[in-house]
Amino acid sequence: MSTIPPTDRPDRPDGTDRNDRTDGTDEHSDLVLTPRDVRFDWDRVPVHWVPGEPTATHVINVLHMLLPEGERWFVRVFQQAVPLITDEELRERVLGFTGQEAMHAEAHQGVLDHFVAKGIDIGPYIAQVEYLFNHLLGDKEGLSPQREREYLIERVAIIAGIEHFTAFLGDWILNAKALDRAGADEIMLDLLRWHGAEEVEHRSVAYDLLRHLDPGYLRRARTMVVSITALLQLWVRGTRFLLAVDPELAGSVEPSVRTAWTAARRGLLPNPVKLGISALRYFSRNYHPSQEGSTRQAIAYLGASPAARAAAH
Amino acid sequence: MSRPQPPRLVPPPDLYGRPRPDRYLQALDWLASKYVPLFTGKDRYGTRPRPPETHPQELTVVSREPVADDVVSLRLATGDRRLLPRWQPGAHLDLILPSGRRRQYSLCGDPADRYAYRIAVRLLPDGQGGSAEVHRELTAGSTVGIRGPRNAFPFAGDRKVLLLAGGIGLTPVLPMAREAAWRGLDWHLVHTGRSRASLPFAGEVARLAARHPGRVTVLTDDEHGMPSATDLLARAGEGTAVYCCGPVPMLDAVQAAFARSEAKALHFERFSAAPIVDGKPFTLRLRDGRELLVPADRTALEVLRADDPGTPYSCQQGFCGVCKLRVLSGTVDHRDRKLSAQQRADGEMLVCVSRAAEGECLELDV
Repeated sequence: MSTIPPTDRPDRPDGTDRNDRTDGTDEHSDLVLTPRDVRFDWDRVPVHWVPGEPTATHVINVLHMLLPEGERWFVRVFQQAVPLITDEELRERVLGFTGQEAMHAEAHQGVLDHFVAKGIDIGPYIAQVEYLFNHLLGDKEGLSPQREREYLIERVAIIAGIEHFTAFLGDWILNAKALDRAGADEIMLDLLRWHGAEEVEHRSVAYDLLRHLDPGYLRRARTMVVSITALLQLWVRGTRFLLAVDPELAGSVEPSVRTAWTAARRGLLPNPVKLGISALRYFSRNYHPSQEGSTRQAIAYLGASPAARAAAH
Repeated sequence: MSRPQPPRLVPPPDLYGRPRPDRYLQALDWLASKYVPLFTGKDRYGTRPRPPETHPQELTVVSREPVADDVVSLRLATGDRRLLPRWQPGAHLDLILPSGRRRQYSLCGDPADRYAYRIAVRLLPDGQGGSAEVHRELTAGSTVGIRGPRNAFPFAGDRKVLLLAGGIGLTPVLPMAREAAWRGLDWHLVHTGRSRASLPFAGEVARLAARHPGRVTVLTDDEHGMPSATDLLARAGEGTAVYCCGPVPMLDAVQAAFARSEAKALHFERFSAAPIVDGKPFTLRLRDGRELLVPADRTALEVLRADDPGTPYSCQQGFCGVCKLRVLSGTVDHRDRKLSAQQRADGEMLVCVSRAAEGECLELDV
């Protein structure tokens, strides 16, 4: 080699030029994103897949209730946004993103169907989630073409905000060794880590799409406030609901912030303080998702994941 | 996506069965009715600055040299020797050849060289003519259209790495070996081929072997016999990540033998579009009355994309469902792995893989 390469850097680079996505770091910015045809066999997976931790289990189980409808909504919004993209490379990344999200929705739907078969009556919460993503955040009647376009971009911006958290959670689950130690179910961990790794892999797409459609700061900051408030409320409501309707618990476990906090301290849930600090970084003018999480770690997991390897063609 | 719900206009009932609409959703409904008019009034998309063009679309062949039997290596740079987009091991470049053929070749040079890309192309006499065109047309000084680079075979820099390269499959793997060396990883490279003369970049591999004794193995069929996948994977210790690039039989064999090895992870280049098996030409009719012919060797999706680049799709293998369209008339030859019998009966079709009988006309709701 004619040039001596730079020394090995930690995987989290510090501030970079915000106009050049990842120049000067060793993060991949040019990955070809393609969905993986994963399948999971849920038959033997228990509802309480972290043994003896009903609160921690159900906090994470809320994901299975939110994601199928939520990610299908992502796909619909991004499909509508594709004709607005004038950059061929970005368009291909957005299309790869939609396929990955569609597969995530199907995989979590599988868990959801399994939970229903186990006798958890999640219908009322699902009805609300459907109302949220199909009606509240769906297409609106009677908008002018220009307002319709701006409303579409507003929703792309909300998704970019949510994707900041999915990347945070993806990075967390890839490193959550405490769940392995607690004896968490291997198939469920593989689902969450495969999903988490793809979230880390494609974490820049929604943000880059937003910047392409509207590079302004105000929309990004405003929609982050929307995303974080809505996610927090949906999560608290979902956890309370699951603890209430789970027939195995029969109402014996009270929803408690203290229990959740203790579980987070033990590494079974993400640390809320780190989550808050991560959310604040989104408001920095130098923010870019490539600075969050490690693509290399995600790639390494996708090569090792039993489901992703079985799906490889 | 796959389960479209009719819009519900009244918020669903309270979560715990209290006899009233849910107050949380009622509040969100009210908020949305104020929010949407407030933040969609300004045309920000129409007035945004044009995003700058960053990637060059055309490069010049600055040098060309034979690196093995039937293999040439090309160095490509911009006409005015500008800085090129950065890349990492495993990345490839799309060449758009003078005939319009589009072919992908792995970058096999030094990622730290920001002024030129190097690719290597083996002449495939039985191929579809792409490699022959490169060998014939791309002489020093000629120009070629490019897209990328992009990476479908990223290198994670795992602590223990086994790199398996079959013949011309060395191209993405060679930069990985160099990165593994400078990162100080525990790595091993195996390069296989028919004979010494058929191995590209034998000199560079020999230099790598001299600098890192014991880390490089070259196996040729005429000297060592054809290695089995189990033999190749035997070099992977516990926790090793395997990166493999080579002919399809080699990839299939390594994948089949992988579960019995001690290795932890397997990586190879992922191709998206599946080959078309037994395709016949048919026609698509669009809502506006236009008819598009789908030739035997192209998919309905390719034809629709050529007509409208905004056509949604993703996996191109019939499993993700993003490209789903409704068929108003005509009989579909379903080739996907996704749609249920009910969805097919409802006229849904995945245009990335599904086709129709010869001469059939599918009327699409698009």
